[in-house]
Amino acid sequence: MSLMKPDMKMDESFYKIEEIRHLTGETFSLKLPKARFAFQAGQHISLGIVGGNQSREYSIYSGVNDDHLEVLIKEVEQGYFTPRLRKLRPGNMVEVHGPFGKFGMEPEHAATGKFVFIASGTGIAPFRSIVHTFPEIDYQLIHGVRYSKEAYDRNEYASDRYTLCTSRDKNGDYHGRLTGYLKSCNFAPDTQFDLCGNSEMIFDALEILKRKGFDRDQIHCEVYF
Amino acid sequence: MIPNKKKTVAFKTLGCRLNQYETDALVTDFSEAGYDLVDTNSSPDVVIVNTCTVTNQSDQKSRTVISQAARKTKNAVVVVTGCMANNFKEKLESQENITFVVENSRKSSILALVDAHFSGEILHPDKLPQDVFRYEPVRKSLHTRSAVKIQDGCDNFCTFCIIPMVRGRAVSRPVADVLESVRKTIGNGFKEIVITGVNIGRYQDGESRFEDLLAKILEVPGDFRVRISSLEPDGFGDDFVQLFANPKLMPHLHLCLQSGSEKTLLRMRRMYNVEQFRKTINRFRAVYSDFNFTTDIIVGFPGETDDEFQQTLDAVNEFKFSHIHTFKYSVRKGTRAERLENHIHEKVKNARSLLVRELSVGNKMNYFKSFIGQTENVLIEKITQGIANGYGQHYIPVRFKVSGEMKNTVHSVTLTEIRGTDEEMYLFGEISN
Ligand SMILES: Cc1cc2nc3c(=O)[nH]c(=O)nc-3n(C[C@H](O)[C@H](O)[C@H](O)COP(=O)(O)OP(=O)(O)OC[C@H]3O[C@@H](n4cnc5c(N)ncnc54)[C@H](O)[C@@H]3O)c2cc1C
Ligand code: SF4
Repeated sequence: MSLMKPDMKMDESFYKIEEIRHLTGETFSLKLPKARFAFQAGQHISLGIVGGNQSREYSIYSGVNDDHLEVLIKEVEQGYFTPRLRKLRPGNMVEVHGPFGKFGMEPEHAATGKFVFIASGTGIAPFRSIVHTFPEIDYQLIHGVRYSKEAYDRNEYASDRYTLCTSRDKNGDYHGRLTGYLKSCNFAPDTQFDLCGNSEMIFDALEILKRKGFDRDQIHCEVYF
Repeated sequence: MIPNKKKTVAFKTLGCRLNQYETDALVTDFSEAGYDLVDTNSSPDVVIVNTCTVTNQSDQKSRTVISQAARKTKNAVVVVTGCMANNFKEKLESQENITFVVENSRKSSILALVDAHFSGEILHPDKLPQDVFRYEPVRKSLHTRSAVKIQDGCDNFCTFCIIPMVRGRAVSRPVADVLESVRKTIGNGFKEIVITGVNIGRYQDGESRFEDLLAKILEVPGDFRVRISSLEPDGFGDDFVQLFANPKLMPHLHLCLQSGSEKTLLRMRRMYNVEQFRKTINRFRAVYSDFNFTTDIIVGFPGETDDEFQQTLDAVNEFKFSHIHTFKYSVRKGTRAERLENHIHEKVKNARSLLVRELSVGNKMNYFKSFIGQTENVLIEKITQGIANGYGQHYIPVRFKVSGEMKNTVHSVTLTEIRGTDEEMYLFGEISN
């Protein structure tokens, strides 16, 4: 059933959900029609449920040229919005505003830079968008999750570029928090670091990178909570 | 025939400099259309309340001002605009004492709405054009300096801030429009312009960034000085520092630090860290040793530990801001910080706020002391009983004796002593030109 009232006019910012991909018991992606706005891989949108009065920010999970606008969402049990999002079905309408934010990858940088992407949980979303948009980009992706089943769409990343750190099972490439893995890594001095996820992880990772001698200007952060 | 009596309009403005500017532009619109400017006690035909919603206190203040204005002006057309009109539109629209609720994006067309109302036309505010830069250059102002708006909106989504929700995404006014507005504002007699917007550091018109625009503004011929309203401390380079060598650009920046703790800054989703802030301050002070930095600090942000707060005190000590707007964190409905854990008890916030204030007053005193015996060029804003009040180029408040009407003129003043206390501290001096 559509949540739109019959007299509600179709708005540029309304998108019909075309598909829902269930990636784990808690995490799913919403596939919407192609974005009606230009965006940079890495940017986020604000998402609302048509008829509702709240919205939340979500990184764009799809690439700039993909046929769908996609977002990756983890249901937070005590949360307000995600349990409601979870109830949506294909055909329901959501409201999308954006793109927003400075965490976007410039094409010139993607072509010439060397990147390390560091993500916790759904913080992988902007990096998937970047990798979809710039398949040739030189990157390493370090993904920290609790269980290996949370390695969302892992098969889309070259196996030598993706490192899964699992803190609650031993099925990842590294058993423990991603910050433990990060401490053991060596990176070229001109590496650019992009960090995305919760602020605790970002803070710890920043400290490690600073101790390794990297300048704060080489590090870019997108904090989810 | 009874001649048409001139209509009167009163304004009430709350909140930031951008709101002040937008009111000034509306004052210009209305006075050019033949309205007389009066206060709300003089039974105006129209009263316009430009509201703010940035904190719960500002909501409360806005509500009080609206009901006072409506009560005092029983038969007036009451227009409510500003950020509260965006945040609580439906609620305000249902209030009988309000005639029109006009969102920020349509604020510049309020005159058309009011004129239509008086000529019997029925025009709904939602039908007004949306243009956040349509404002005429200020001619008649409630102040001595005039703002020039270069940018609106912000999409940084700092977790405590409602502005992205009420002002919308960052948009920049084209360079040519800004320059035209600057020329006209100076032509209208203003000696000082303040570059204003929601997040002006994000200015971008094609290839022109904020510092490029500023360089062009400084090239506009004329005898005027330029100030920058508050600035987010990220993303400017050496070119920006160099611009302050131009005597037209005043050596003061209000750079919002908010916290001295990296962890708190991350939870706030601020786009810089303390190290970057330090670099910026040092870059300026290496070139201009007496450069004035003022700032905003939020104390008691959710999860702020004693250690994190201590880091803020350390930063305040180190950066020696001459003035700090200290805000005790208060929950803003609809923001991400509302949903963060570990909200801080009011008592702790009060104690922390007091500590910041104490440090801030000490810093102010030291900064002011360093100006005794120096000369500042002061733009007179008002004269009360022969004492002129104004700001020197470093944005320090100065008072001195004058004779005659010298408002809106700049004078060289030798500073002799500090007077007043705390927030009311100022430098007293003698005119030396
Ligand atoms: C710029 C930006 C981009 C974001 N992108 C994404 C994204 O791509 N995917 C996504 O799932 N979320 C993303 N978020 C978080 C998202 O906006 C919501 O906060 C989240 O979906 C939970 O909403 P809620 O109302 O259910 O709970 P809220 O009331 O918003 O949050 C309650 C608590 O849940 C926890 N939490 C919030 N988000 C997550 C999460 N993603 N994973 C685990 N715990 C969380 C936090 O402790 C938070 O305090 C992003 C946030 C920002 C600021
Ligand atoms: S930078 Fe942050 S505090 Fe400033 S307007 Fe934007 S969201 Fe609000």
